[in-house]
Amino acid sequence: MATTETQIENPGRARILERLRTALRETTPRPPGAEGRKIFAPVTDVLARFQQECAANITECIVTQDLRSSARAVADVLASLPPGEIFVQDSPALRRLAPEWQTARSIQWSSEGGPKESAQATITTAEALVALTGSVLVSASCGGRGASVVAPVHIVVATADQLVPDLEAAFALMRERNTAFQNSYVCLITGSSRTADIEKILVMGAHGPIRLIVLLAMRPE
Amino acid sequence: MAKVALFIPCFVDQLTPEVGLDMVRVLRRLGIEMEFPEEQTCCGQPAFNTGYWNDARPVAERFLQIFRNAEQVVCPSGSCTTMVRNFYPELLAGTPWHEEALKVGQRVFEFSEFLVKVARVTDVGASFPHRVAVHDSCHALRELRLKQESRELLRHVRGLELVEMPYSEDCCGFGGTFATKFSAISAAMGDAKAGYAETSGAEYVTATDPSCLLHIDGILRRRNSTVRTIHLAGILAQTATAAERRTRAAGAEGAR
Amino acid sequence: MNNAAHEFLRSAAEKSADLTHRQIIRRGIDSYNTANERGRSRFLDWEAARLRCQEIKWEAVNSLDRYLLEFEQRVKDRGGHVFWAENSAEARKYITDLATARGVRKIVKSKSMVSEEIHLGPALEKLGIKVVETDLGEYIVQLREETPYHIVTPAMHLNRTQIAALFKEKLGDVDTDDPQQLVAAARRALRRDFFSAEMGISGANFLVADAGMIALTTNEGNGRLCTSVPPIHVVLSGIEKVIPRLQDLATLWPVLATAGTGQPITCYSTLAGGPRQPNEMDGPEEFHVVLVDNGRSELLANVEEREVLHCIRCGACINACPVFRTVGGHSYGTTYMGPIGSVLTPRLRGLNEFQHLSYASSLCGACSDVCPVKINLHHHLLHNRRDAVDASDRPWSERMGFAVWRWAVGDARRFRAVGWLARLGMRVMQRLHLDGTLLDPARPWNRNHATAPAPAKSFRALWGNQNGNN
Repeated sequence: MATTETQIENPGRARILERLRTALRETTPRPPGAEGRKIFAPVTDVLARFQQECAANITECIVTQDLRSSARAVADVLASLPPGEIFVQDSPALRRLAPEWQTARSIQWSSEGGPKESAQATITTAEALVALTGSVLVSASCGGRGASVVAPVHIVVATADQLVPDLEAAFALMRERNTAFQNSYVCLITGSSRTADIEKILVMGAHGPIRLIVLLAMRPE
Repeated sequence: MAKVALFIPCFVDQLTPEVGLDMVRVLRRLGIEMEFPEEQTCCGQPAFNTGYWNDARPVAERFLQIFRNAEQVVCPSGSCTTMVRNFYPELLAGTPWHEEALKVGQRVFEFSEFLVKVARVTDVGASFPHRVAVHDSCHALRELRLKQESRELLRHVRGLELVEMPYSEDCCGFGGTFATKFSAISAAMGDAKAGYAETSGAEYVTATDPSCLLHIDGILRRRNSTVRTIHLAGILAQTATAAERRTRAAGAEGAR
Repeated sequence: MNNAAHEFLRSAAEKSADLTHRQIIRRGIDSYNTANERGRSRFLDWEAARLRCQEIKWEAVNSLDRYLLEFEQRVKDRGGHVFWAENSAEARKYITDLATARGVRKIVKSKSMVSEEIHLGPALEKLGIKVVETDLGEYIVQLREETPYHIVTPAMHLNRTQIAALFKEKLGDVDTDDPQQLVAAARRALRRDFFSAEMGISGANFLVADAGMIALTTNEGNGRLCTSVPPIHVVLSGIEKVIPRLQDLATLWPVLATAGTGQPITCYSTLAGGPRQPNEMDGPEEFHVVLVDNGRSELLANVEEREVLHCIRCGACINACPVFRTVGGHSYGTTYMGPIGSVLTPRLRGLNEFQHLSYASSLCGACSDVCPVKINLHHHLLHNRRDAVDASDRPWSERMGFAVWRWAVGDARRFRAVGWLARLGMRVMQRLHLDGTLLDPARPWNRNHATAPAPAKSFRALWGNQNGNN
């Protein structure tokens, strides 16, 4: 939409900005801030911490030797699911591993569009894995927005070198890669969907995936 | 030890004088010299809390005038101490009295705070053979950051069994004019507090603030509860000899 | 007394006496407290986290214009639209016009307190558009035709039996009160809506300036579905939600989760900054951010109150508040309840009409203690009271009362005399058993308290006796 159109349609914008500028002519003292105090204890063993946090937030973290072993683990997971289509991120790595899944299921690749409502599982890579919280960082580049939320099972194929210690490191990585500008969507996923809205009782499996599975290969190939 | 000036809250002076007297007894036992500046009336908190800062200001200035030369001021109430130390500077900001407010604020102490942190005494020679629970008065807890001081003092009281009541840090619901303006809410909060006191198995509930105790006491009595309230100073003022004297007096009374 | 104050008093009295309600809330709060304590222990230094968050919000709010412009530009660079709404009506109009123009028949909504604030629901319903709340708590209160009870846990006042009965009536395919089954029923019902809605509306926890993205956190995944599946995504946010940098979320996300529910981090911490990009295979075709002022710029101009805009809507203050625990979320009758509601509502909607909320507090200070961005909430309640008095908005009887009080405490002899008289009056009342009756000026107090007899002598009289009047 052209700027002029916005100016005509949104006269409030200039008025709001004017009020903000006038208000901010008067300053308030800056608070002291954390003054270098450490907020989180540093993560020493990223792998161990990641596994520990995954256990706590109910992410199934399966450590494998390499990506080929991960692919076989994917096959095992798929074999345990009800029949139906799976949706896979169209990345070179996943294209290479696809034959290993040896599945009769039909595969929809992300290059063909978003996942269907009926997909039984989605398989994607990740931008990074965060040890401090046991989280998976994905972006729209990881098969699109729907890939990590639509199906009841989300499988992440990752490697150990993708582990970063904490959120600061994850954001630093995003800065390096310009993730926020390459994508319209980024999500930090920690566990599978859940709610405690009924009597504060934790129930797993709300609207997002009911299972989040991370296949963590120690080596690439 | 320097002479201490007694800051007796307005409602203690008029409604619960025994709290002031008990504090005096304890200080005397410790050999502390006291004076009572007779001109004092009120610190101004009721007006301040209700938003009447223009009415509170002259009252605050009068307070500072009266206590400005005192080396140490002791008060048997966390909320009144808070008013002077934490709120006078804001109330008197931009006035000539602001400096004085900051200075005097540093020299005013709540009673338990004075004993433990200034006089550095935790055993005041008290005796009170009963089960006691502490209600953590909000101002003392959150504004003056006091919690362990009263418990330390109580642990050294002979025969006293200290119990923790559930939700001891929950507000009792007094809140000054809140108790009359929003009496239903205030009473419900007090009711909850009374219930916790009863489940704790304590015979007495104590606190640093007589205002809390007035409120809790009134509700406990209404419930015909066996739990009684007593100010911290009231416990610390009890000695074995005083208890004996009372028992003897009561016995003599009964015999008549 | 105005209607709002009257209704508050009525509801507060009713709920204060409702022991069942108080027990339910107590259990919910206890559950939160346990989780929150565990959550805070995961930080090396929780206080440092609070200080950092306070600093981030101070930076954001004190350069609000700059960061909002930066945010807007980056959103537009991705092909998104940003509309600045001065008030509720403008915000509603933008959304209803858009919905009408695009032929929207159904909207899926992820939680947005601002949407409640601007009364968006009724405006859309009037156009025949079905609005489906997808946050489970919001979904439940929507089915009950109630407003949210709490900004984070909207249905905390209900137990599973009530929810089961509700689902049985409205959804039909439910015959159990097992929470697992109830959630599954909601998932089934809402899934159809996610995939058929023409528009998704979400709130925003933060507006990230340097990335030009909104940050949205949910545990259920409903926020992600609302913002991924429907062809249009509309964001509703107050202007104060902005933060300077993406990495500020490294502290804000864990703090928000800990303060809000005790979790280390919310399950889905999402960033969305535009419609689907040319290289993306799914996502909405359109992305609109509606920035709402609605009194916030005025609050910004009030230097003493400016820090109230730092609020990240975590709900911790509400959970800590003993008044909330006693009267419940609905008694406030406003979008925002608890301490933040009592501070903010008079400022956004009028001190005259809503000052009673700022007075309905014992000033215990628990709210300020727990606020993760260190807003001195109870001090702001005091400021609201002061400003109400300065606006001459208080009852005549109260103003007179304090004028008398000031006179009485202005001199020690006067004070002694007035005190003596008052105590005499109290003793007479008590002797005649009139305390607590309609004749008793202290009726509000004596109605609920059995007070000990008023003393015959004051402290100063007894001190004088003891010390021979030296």
